[in-house]
Amino acid sequence: MKLPPHISLPEKKRVAGPERSPVYAMVGNPNCGKTTLFNALTGLRQKVGNYPGVTIEKKIGEAYSQHGRPMKVIDLPGAYSLAARSPDEAVLRDVLLGRRADTPQPDRIICVVDSSNLERNLYLVHQILDLGRPVIVVLNMMDVATTAGHLIDPKKLEESLGVTVIPCEAVHHKGLVELRLAMSRADLPLARHRWDVPAPIAPAVADLQASLVQYDTRSPLVARAEALLLLTDFDSVRVAGSTPLSSRTIEILASWRKRWEGEGTDWSATLIRSRYEAINRLCADVIRRTREQGPSVSDRIDAVLVHSIFGWLFFGAVMAALFFSIFTLAEYPKNWIDDHMTALGGWVQGSMAVGDLRDLLTHGVIDGVKGIVVFLPQILILFFFVGLLESTGYMARAAFLMDRPMSKVGLHGKSFIPLLGSYACAIPGIMATRTIENAKDRLVTILVAPLMSCSARLPVYLLMIATLLPSTTVATTTKVGLMLLMYAIGTLGAFGFAWLFKRTLFKSAPPLMIMELPPYQRPRLPEITRQMIERAWLFLKNAGTIILGISILLWFFSTYPKHPDPSATPDAQIAYSLAGRAGKILEPVIKPLGFDWRIGVGLVTSFYAREVFVSSMAVIFGVESKDDNTAAIRDALRSAKWPDGAVLFTPLVCFTLMVYYVFAMQCMSTVAVVKRETNSWRWPLFQIAYMTGTAWVVCFVIYQTGRALGF
Amino acid sequence: MTAELQTLIALAVVATTAACLVVRSLAKHKNHGCGGECACPTTELKSKIRR
Repeated sequence: MKLPPHISLPEKKRVAGPERSPVYAMVGNPNCGKTTLFNALTGLRQKVGNYPGVTIEKKIGEAYSQHGRPMKVIDLPGAYSLAARSPDEAVLRDVLLGRRADTPQPDRIICVVDSSNLERNLYLVHQILDLGRPVIVVLNMMDVATTAGHLIDPKKLEESLGVTVIPCEAVHHKGLVELRLAMSRADLPLARHRWDVPAPIAPAVADLQASLVQYDTRSPLVARAEALLLLTDFDSVRVAGSTPLSSRTIEILASWRKRWEGEGTDWSATLIRSRYEAINRLCADVIRRTREQGPSVSDRIDAVLVHSIFGWLFFGAVMAALFFSIFTLAEYPKNWIDDHMTALGGWVQGSMAVGDLRDLLTHGVIDGVKGIVVFLPQILILFFFVGLLESTGYMARAAFLMDRPMSKVGLHGKSFIPLLGSYACAIPGIMATRTIENAKDRLVTILVAPLMSCSARLPVYLLMIATLLPSTTVATTTKVGLMLLMYAIGTLGAFGFAWLFKRTLFKSAPPLMIMELPPYQRPRLPEITRQMIERAWLFLKNAGTIILGISILLWFFSTYPKHPDPSATPDAQIAYSLAGRAGKILEPVIKPLGFDWRIGVGLVTSFYAREVFVSSMAVIFGVESKDDNTAAIRDALRSAKWPDGAVLFTPLVCFTLMVYYVFAMQCMSTVAVVKRETNSWRWPLFQIAYMTGTAWVVCFVIYQTGRALGF
Repeated sequence: MTAELQTLIALAVVATTAACLVVRSLAKHKNHGCGGECACPTTELKSKIRR
């Protein structure tokens, strides 16, 4: 077969032979179902969601051909074109162009296409076909396209492009056998598509292509595709791990750019336009519209949910429902766990003789772990709601609603998705900032994301609310209100600091938000349940390892050295212990906030993770009480006193402590992730300083003002 | 169990725990993150890649 002039066979070394598994890259627009398909092919369970930007890193998995031959599949972040505008899109570009040393350049490419948006999705496919690699086009969401009245003829598309086209519904596992068969083929056809580069641009393409082949060791076809790309976006976004271009190529690029600027003609736009014209002709040929375009079901729902008034009412109702559920639905399982753990403690207490080991098991191990495990039901409810928002597509609407308030502080709604994700855990939130194009906006979002109240704060808030408001006399709505207030303080704090940073450290023009609102979907309960179970396992693993370890050490530090007087009171013993002595050194710093040295010990141990505070309180106050029964921590806290007999946990102190946890940077994992994402220790250290400093100042003001007002 | 033996075992448990925590914190983490939820590679995925 005679190949078209712009196609040449791939280099020998990249051909997947029997000795080497072929490497497939899975690419496509954001939210077109790549990860769902990746999971279906590889059997892995990577996170999926109905909003753009779920996948922000490349993922590697293994699939098997129809003959059982292993095939490596790389799931790449979504992008609308190879012209990267954000770090996650740059990962896609760099892997496909072979710019990354840590990832093999793929032998074959699976282009996943959202069939209901074929025209827009084909732009990326069109660019990828230029690479001259074997491509399989997967027409995903065929059911959605049919419902929307778009009848696509896959055969005609296959004939036009010259590559294999597979209609598919990844969610329902339809078309997977056909896809596996196509992937199993030893030879895949190479693209036949023709796209004539506008004549005035051709010399620039040729110049750059020659330089890329000679100085950047690209193959001729990849060099041509990269040249076309460089001429449209000038390679503005670069990420760590990407091999830089040679100085000669950069020189040529700059000279062409200068020449075009001098001519006053926007050849980049011409290049993009001519590609779209080719796509339009193709779409006119393969799509038959069965009905006139009208407002879809999603459009009709959006008329209410993103309405300037009703939208906010609905958003408020969702948040209120979330916190109401946390206080009501979780009560039964929480009590069940509490009762069983207490019974276990009682059994150990009754079956062992008095001694250090019994004390360690009851007050160190069981009290410490129980203190945190009882909050598992509440955390699961939080994750259920977050999963519901992600799965239905409401997450993108929340970002849209937030765009206006966010723009007031200099950020756009796209920053709200990482911030909303931080309600669950700041780590995925910080990683999700990779979808933000502007580097300054990204850094500001990273710096303020840990201010959003994450799930680790939930046990601290719940403990303080339980101590502050007795369940018998105070209505649930009051507790819900107090919890909402903490979340509101965190959110407003994040907005306030974003505003401050955008006006001082990271001055830049307010960005414009362009974001795709995905069609609404029914919540995928199996997926949400799976994510909840994974989260529960992670939480229990953490409770059984780190929190257990810290509880055991804390028991030791609060028990040793032993008081010289064996008849010393528990209070005197803990004050004499190592933890007591360390706490007393810290006490002058935190006393102006209403905290004593025992709270100080909790603040120090919970720097590892916020929830450790609860288990630390359980150990410290459990040791102090020396009670035969493992009394509820809240009762122990309520009866705690200062040396002068004054109550320690007054309502004002409980409130101040909650506010301290809203602002203070108490999470080592977050510090590590910020270091990795910013590639420097400067920003995580700055974050610790500004957040913990703010926590101290705000708590000082609240406590001292409260005292002055007689609280 | 005598009080002395209990003290001995309790201190051994504390020492082992401290050693485990130190080893854990000094161990080189290939992947920072929350261990799966945050879209960082899961153990399952890591084992597949290793293979």
